[in-house]
Amino acid sequence: MAADLAELERMIAEALPGAEVEVVDEGGGDHLRAIVTAPQFEGLSRIDQHRLVKAAVRERMDDGTIHALSITASVPG
Amino acid sequence: MAANPELREQLEHAIAGNKVLLLMKGTPEMPRCGFSMRTVGMLEQMGVEYGAIDVLPMLQPLREVTTEIADWQTFPQLYVDGELLGGCDIVEEMYESGELADALGVEQPEGEPDVGVPQPSGAPTQSPPLQIET
Repeated sequence: MAADLAELERMIAEALPGAEVEVVDEGGGDHLRAIVTAPQFEGLSRIDQHRLVKAAVRERMDDGTIHALSITASVPG
Repeated sequence: MAANPELREQLEHAIAGNKVLLLMKGTPEMPRCGFSMRTVGMLEQMGVEYGAIDVLPMLQPLREVTTEIADWQTFPQLYVDGELLGGCDIVEEMYESGELADALGVEQPEGEPDVGVPQPSGAPTQSPPLQIET
């Protein structure tokens, strides 16, 4: 089943209030990229920034909807 | 579900015993996943010795261990000096920015990362495969 990109964007946006989120399909409906600009990323290491995004969509990783999620994380400004 | 304690101990031992350790799908000579292949390519480009563990024979138990020790579920995972640096995309960003070279203590190589089939330059320090009791 292809992932519902809008649902994933909503899940990330709810976990990171104030974030700008875009989820794009990089192939086959299950290799996705999340482009996230969030104030919560300030001062975090890259891996911690990615942990926040992955935690927001963990349910869809665990149920196999997403096979691979690449993340581009940045701080606004 | 709690991770297998013996497997956790083995993995922690491997992380502590290798300055650079890659948990990957397949082997450096024969990666079984594009992300693992790209990460191997970047390490080869850096010219560092690294240990590599093929996670495929025990994917789920190892996922449970890395969830516990590093809060990370996907492979590849690159550990440097005992800490998880990241998966393929973080390593790529750090490669491009020069942070990877800093973390590995090497000079930034010239040119773009070799994302094709890796051609091991030397013999990487290969960790013995992890075993689990069944």
